[in-house]
Amino acid sequence: MTAKARQPRLRDVLLEQVRVTWLALRIPSLVGVGLAAVATVVALPTLIRGGPLNINGWPTWIPGIMGSLMPIAVWGKDERFGPGFLWTLPVDRRRHAFTKVLAGWVWLMAGLVVFLSWLFIMARISGEHVVPRTINLLISPAPPMGLVDPATVRAVPWNPSFLIGLVPFGGATGCYLLGSALVIGTRHPLRWVLGVVMLGALIAVISQPLGTQFGITWLAVAPGRAMEILVGSRYGLDALLTARSETLSTTATLTTAKSLRVWWGIPNLADWGVATLLWTGLGSIALWAAISRHGERRRI
Amino acid sequence: MISDGGSSRSEYAVTTHGLSKRYGRQPALDGVDLRVPDGAVYVLVGANGAGKSTLFKVLMNLERPDAGTAEVFGLDTGRFGPEVRAGIGYVPERQDAPHRAMTCARLLQHASTFYPEWDHAYADHLVRALAVQPQRRVGGLSKGETRRVQLVLALAYRPPLLLLDEPTDGLDPVVRRRALGLLAEHLADTQATVLVSTHHITELESLADHVGVLRDGRLVAQMPRDELQHSVKSYQLEVPDGWEAPPEFQPTGLRRATAGRVVQCTLVGEEREVMQRLAASGAVVRGVIPLSLEDSALAFLPEDPS
Repeated sequence: MTAKARQPRLRDVLLEQVRVTWLALRIPSLVGVGLAAVATVVALPTLIRGGPLNINGWPTWIPGIMGSLMPIAVWGKDERFGPGFLWTLPVDRRRHAFTKVLAGWVWLMAGLVVFLSWLFIMARISGEHVVPRTINLLISPAPPMGLVDPATVRAVPWNPSFLIGLVPFGGATGCYLLGSALVIGTRHPLRWVLGVVMLGALIAVISQPLGTQFGITWLAVAPGRAMEILVGSRYGLDALLTARSETLSTTATLTTAKSLRVWWGIPNLADWGVATLLWTGLGSIALWAAISRHGERRRI
Repeated sequence: MISDGGSSRSEYAVTTHGLSKRYGRQPALDGVDLRVPDGAVYVLVGANGAGKSTLFKVLMNLERPDAGTAEVFGLDTGRFGPEVRAGIGYVPERQDAPHRAMTCARLLQHASTFYPEWDHAYADHLVRALAVQPQRRVGGLSKGETRRVQLVLALAYRPPLLLLDEPTDGLDPVVRRRALGLLAEHLADTQATVLVSTHHITELESLADHVGVLRDGRLVAQMPRDELQHSVKSYQLEVPDGWEAPPEFQPTGLRRATAGRVVQCTLVGEEREVMQRLAASGAVVRGVIPLSLEDSALAFLPEDPS
């Protein structure tokens, strides 16, 4: 033969994947920009009147949703299983998949920066803060039951570390890794999601009457506990996505008939850090396992 | 299997050893020992589902064999997949193009990133010669137009090995002729090795120098084209009533056409030896007719595809 044919540099592959991934993201990006434009138009009358937009009540799970949906946009058109074009290229398949995941993550972070900048600008215009400076803390460290007596609420100044700004990025990254693992590692990711959700719902529906009928207490409460651990616990999904600001606060009605966002705990950034490490670690392991399904080496 | 012997292993660009692959219970490849000499144009012939595309996918390391090994330029395709693919220009059997939202020009630019040897001037030449429209979206291309883009993608970096799976499938006659001309030009310039599967052997007759025949996943013949045409001939026989061909001719795919006591047989073997055996069986040889490459190769395939 014939001199050995050269392979591309990894840097070139990554840069090309970043460029190509953008092509796949153009339409979702346009949809996102459209939604932001609609939200801005809807907010305009309030801004003109000088009224508050309640920016700090923004849906903090949006970065998580963005991270979860991103892998579909990045990989949706690729033939992940079978002799797809991506796998015919002269790059180690596992490495190639990682570069594509990385390229998607770069755009996810860029999208998040744009989204948070828009949110920040809206907050500045309305004279608010994205992160509240004062929180209404309940004296009792438990969620309120029914109407809340204003005497049980005290306004506490809150000046969290700048690390609070990283929470959306950590949440989006964790969800992106888990979503990427699902999309790359399974032929039918949507079926898996629906299957797991339906199975969970079925277990929840069945376990309570069964537990009650046969006097098995743990069975009756197991689904609720499992969800609590998964979502609302110290290191659960909410800790990853919002540093637990969703599960530590709610909009309550006071005995004076006024509505107020009340908190029964202050988000702890150390817990968020641990949750982020746990979930991104889990996502990384799942991603590695998923990508390994496409490895070069034979089974034999 | 009928094969040429003798050549040493280093002469081969592609070799496989006992390659087997099953899809469920269906065998796609069954103990295939392929030998593609370096610099050869090796035409792989076989009916639909004979295992040609599976063999190509194994060589690209897109499919994992159940047993056996495959080497391209001495590199194990399973262990050195990226290195192997860097030296292969691959036209897949399927004509569905990747990155459907891209324009053809952008797709070529994308592919060029992955091949440091990509020759932009040559790619432009191919684009013009195959009448690829650079500004067209890949998703809007017809089957034939997609095939043209796939040919540009396979040739533009002048790879030392071309794996072409039905490369002219879907092309109109004019473009087909042009594509074959480009392939000939490419071979003259690069001395590349070509492993090509086709149902139109005649169109590759001027380029082919080796032929392999896959039948139900088994490589039933591989040899230089001259040897094939030398060893497969049509014999016109006058035979007694109830004559049966000698049993040793049966497994190679004997074809016969009968008209009264005159039988026309396509038989495989050294002409003198074949004639001796026929004479011993009671047949009188009235004539021996050489065959085209296509007819020679088809002698190894069953007449009844079922």
